[in-house]
Amino acid sequence: MSEQVIDIRTALRQAIDEEMTRDETVFVMGEEVAEYNGAYKVTKGLLDKWGPKRIIDTPISELGFAGLGVGAAMAGLRPIIEFMSFNFSFVACDQIISNAAKMHYMSGGRFRVPIVFRGPNGAAAQVSCQHSHCVEALYANLPGLIVIAPSNAYDAKGLLKSAIRNDNPVLFLESELQYGHTCEVPDLEYLVPIGKAKVMQEGTDITLVSHGRSIDFCKEAIKEVNASVELIDLRTIKPLDIATIIQSVRKTGRCLIVEEGHYFAGIAAEVACEIGEKCFDYLDYPVQRICQKETPMPYSKVLEAETLPSKEKIVRVISQMLRRY
Amino acid sequence: MRNFAVEEYNFYPSKPKRVAKNIGKSGMLDALEKMLLIRHVETRAEAAYLQGKVGGFFHAYIGQEAIQTAICAVFEKGDLRPWYAASYRCHALALLLGVTPNEVMAELYGKSTGNAQGRGGSMHLYTDRMMGGTGIVGGQVPLAIGAAFANKYKDIKAPAICFLGDGAVVQGAFHESLNLAALWDLPCIIVIENNIWGMGTHVHRAVAKTPIAESQAMSYGIDSYTINGSHFTDCYAAFQEIKEKVAQNSRPVLVEVVAERFRGHSISDPGLYREKDYLSSVMHANDPIVIHKNLMESCSMLTEEEFKALEKKCREKAVAAMKFAEESPEPSPLELEEGVYA
Repeated sequence: MSEQVIDIRTALRQAIDEEMTRDETVFVMGEEVAEYNGAYKVTKGLLDKWGPKRIIDTPISELGFAGLGVGAAMAGLRPIIEFMSFNFSFVACDQIISNAAKMHYMSGGRFRVPIVFRGPNGAAAQVSCQHSHCVEALYANLPGLIVIAPSNAYDAKGLLKSAIRNDNPVLFLESELQYGHTCEVPDLEYLVPIGKAKVMQEGTDITLVSHGRSIDFCKEAIKEVNASVELIDLRTIKPLDIATIIQSVRKTGRCLIVEEGHYFAGIAAEVACEIGEKCFDYLDYPVQRICQKETPMPYSKVLEAETLPSKEKIVRVISQMLRRY
Repeated sequence: MRNFAVEEYNFYPSKPKRVAKNIGKSGMLDALEKMLLIRHVETRAEAAYLQGKVGGFFHAYIGQEAIQTAICAVFEKGDLRPWYAASYRCHALALLLGVTPNEVMAELYGKSTGNAQGRGGSMHLYTDRMMGGTGIVGGQVPLAIGAAFANKYKDIKAPAICFLGDGAVVQGAFHESLNLAALWDLPCIIVIENNIWGMGTHVHRAVAKTPIAESQAMSYGIDSYTINGSHFTDCYAAFQEIKEKVAQNSRPVLVEVVAERFRGHSISDPGLYREKDYLSSVMHANDPIVIHKNLMESCSMLTEEEFKALEKKCREKAVAAMKFAEESPEPSPLELEEGVYA
């Protein structure tokens, strides 16, 4: 099978374009997605191809257009709503939480809400306190939502296509700092299933669990430790593929979870709890976490690096857990 | 706080007898029966609530029945049926759109035979075109304009109709929705049911400008109507005109319909913010069912016997619905986790 090397923004664009070709109810709506070609160029060229009926610029009105998307989804369309930053979803979160997440259950199954909310999540480069929050722990707390966070172009394309076809509300979390990351992606159409973690690298000494941009730090750290590390990319945060994690931890007996979001009630906390419940007898070391410290994201480069997970922190904790060096 | 003065309102012209004649006896009778059914179902449900059979929140529509009855009489015919979205005060709309009293009552009782299988309750009732029943004030407005957007996208000429209370017009969702609907020419009718009270707060302590629709519509460059909501015929005539206008120009319309509610905000509201004498004068003067009945009698469209027979029929349906709900099975705990995802 022939391959192409593309970056994440191109992978996302291809996914959107292919699904728009496949299904005429799919449309894109958000701030600067059309004439400006996307704040991060994910939707570049789509207005020229599909026209203003299906690639729609909105005013700065996240509550309004997120809710409009939910209503349109209930009425038979498949909206892709772009948030320029997921931090802007906070002014729209009543629509995501009270309407999108709960509608199917609350209506006794009468209404489905097939909608994708996508955009960059978490920290970029020094964008400070109000543009850097990781939203996955907040939204993954809500039954009814699917939360996806790919770490590479292959998964980004295959998962976004699955998300668009899914009949539930999906939050699709990207990273501004990863849009330029490239990898090989098949030329032919493919899907990546929702709810399946991926073992990126097999190992026997320790299981490293992460998702999204933190996978980059994990990969760098693995190169520097003298150990056989099994790296698991969650890819989908909710529903969580706990089976893949359990299988790995029962083999390695050690687990470190790396998350860009905060410690308190985070994704790592949830994974650690599941491991505690299901792998207690297999553990040779307490489950460890490296997350964002309990601070808003500071502007200073030095402080930003200090609060976030990093390669150095991961190397340090893995070494400690393996009692080497 | 100013007292609410209907005098400052320039209502849509009232021509009850002429409109009644145009609607005809059977249409007028049908409306009377629907209003009576809503009244009886809610009255029985209140009784069930007080017996502890119904839990949670319960917001009665009593005093406002003419509004949605008229709108459904205007729009629920022909091929181009609208989408609807409502606030938590949604029992009447569900009944008007064909949800049976049994289904409504069973939902209030939290039974598996309920409209939403006992998952929604009083505030969350649905049909294939009724998007709820939403519990967050103003949260339904974006849903309605989304449905209007979907219709426009699919080139379907039917509008979306949204109901909200006077308390919701100060929410951001209302204003963002109006801006988008006006900006994109979405065929929707946003109906503010001004029942004077946002829970215990008078509209003049919450909304800076009245009449609401008239002043807000100006801000968004759309048309507005102000209607006396106690009169079925006023609502009917106005919404007939609104229907034609939206069909013609595919633009949003903002409507304010005034009808003071007779009950508390919800059943647990003792209503201490209104003097008893004041409330009884409102109920005496503005009861939409009494007004409708008197009009029909004055047009020789209704006899006392016919009215009594209709009342009996509706009361029996409501009582039968209580029995149905009572005897229906509880939802199975085994099914608790079903339906979280589609």
